[in-house]
Amino acid sequence: MNTQPTESFDYFALEGTIDAQSESYFRDLPAKVRFGLVRFDFARAGRINSMGIALLLRCFKDIRDKKKAEIRLEGLTPMHSMLFKMTGVFLLASPVVSEAGGKEGTA
Amino acid sequence: MQTVAVLYQDENDRKLWEAPLKGIPGLLSITVGGNLTASLEALRAIASTLRVVILSARLYPEENPELAARVRAVSSGSELLLISSSREPSPPLLPLFADNVRHLAIDGPEGDRPVTGYLPAVVSMLVDRIPWEIGSCLRAGTPIHSFPLGSSEEKESLIGALEAALSGEGEEYEMLRQKGALLADELLENALNGAPRGTDGSKLFKKGAKRTMLPQERIVFSFGFDGETLALKLTDSWGTLEPELVMEYLARNQEEGTCADDAGGRGLFIIWRFLEQFHVNIHPGQETVVGGHLQLSSRLDLETPRGFHITAHQKEMQHEYPANRKF
Repeated sequence: MNTQPTESFDYFALEGTIDAQSESYFRDLPAKVRFGLVRFDFARAGRINSMGIALLLRCFKDIRDKKKAEIRLEGLTPMHSMLFKMTGVFLLASPVVSEAGGKEGTA
Repeated sequence: MQTVAVLYQDENDRKLWEAPLKGIPGLLSITVGGNLTASLEALRAIASTLRVVILSARLYPEENPELAARVRAVSSGSELLLISSSREPSPPLLPLFADNVRHLAIDGPEGDRPVTGYLPAVVSMLVDRIPWEIGSCLRAGTPIHSFPLGSSEEKESLIGALEAALSGEGEEYEMLRQKGALLADELLENALNGAPRGTDGSKLFKKGAKRTMLPQERIVFSFGFDGETLALKLTDSWGTLEPELVMEYLARNQEEGTCADDAGGRGLFIIWRFLEQFHVNIHPGQETVVGGHLQLSSRLDLETPRGFHITAHQKEMQHEYPANRKF
């Protein structure tokens, strides 16, 4: 998983399966946030199971509560979007709207 | 002999369900039409042979919240099955949880669902008290692949075997592979880390823990694919899942606005939402079976209501670990 802070936002690119094994990564991630906007790129993320969803929710809540930052999600597949919609992830983070006008990975 | 009764709200409701319920033997149709007391008396008259009472979602739970309890007072041995149209919003689940109504079928009007004869098959299952079987939704002769687990390290290879069996090209296949992989992951995690409990009911393993099977523990993952329908089944030898808890998990997670990171039962909720039919069969202290099926060419989106069938058998023995149990 890559971290690329820029001058105006923090950028995290997620890779591979997101599950219980990702716990330490997501636990430590909110402390790395420095800006008011955080972008998460899921283009290279694979399967996300219920434990992965729990970690994302916890991480996003921490970022919003402690860093008061806005969270945007990009590179979502339709499967990611379905999961995020049904589990409330989109209540904490917004999918990026593509130039064509539709949300990325719309289920 | 009348073994099944269905209660409709009115004539329109009856017409809506005429085709989906066609072919159910021994079916008594009752149109309530505002006179619930007379309808319950009609049920009472056949209570001695009654095995299943079907309630239309236009009658229950919102219109007549007390209906399930009143039906049970008339015919205590009957299984209750709620039927709801796929074109109407899903019935609220919390009243079903409170009333212990464990069977919800979503069906009709014709053309919305690719599976024909769904309701007669479900009713037959309930009348005969026969548990769901993985092959029941697949074409005859479809091979069922079964994998007994030796350790949690085998999870990814089992998921790989499932994905390999769904080797077609195109978006539909890609989506089916992704859904199948997630379902297998959740089913296996539930069996590996949710099912094992100590004598005090506490979990023996943390989520995501790496471990080998305990002595006499048996976890079997099965699947079959007939080119259109993918059926999945996970059997564990614990039988610790409680039907009330399953209902509560589904109901609580479905509540809008839920985004608690520690919400219990999210894995089961995801399994339910991704399957087109969801079955849980529990023999307390002996075995839990969770499974169901989904279609390659599914047109169901997330908003489409989903049904469930949760069956619990009489407790035959107290589960304890370790114990000398036969599997």
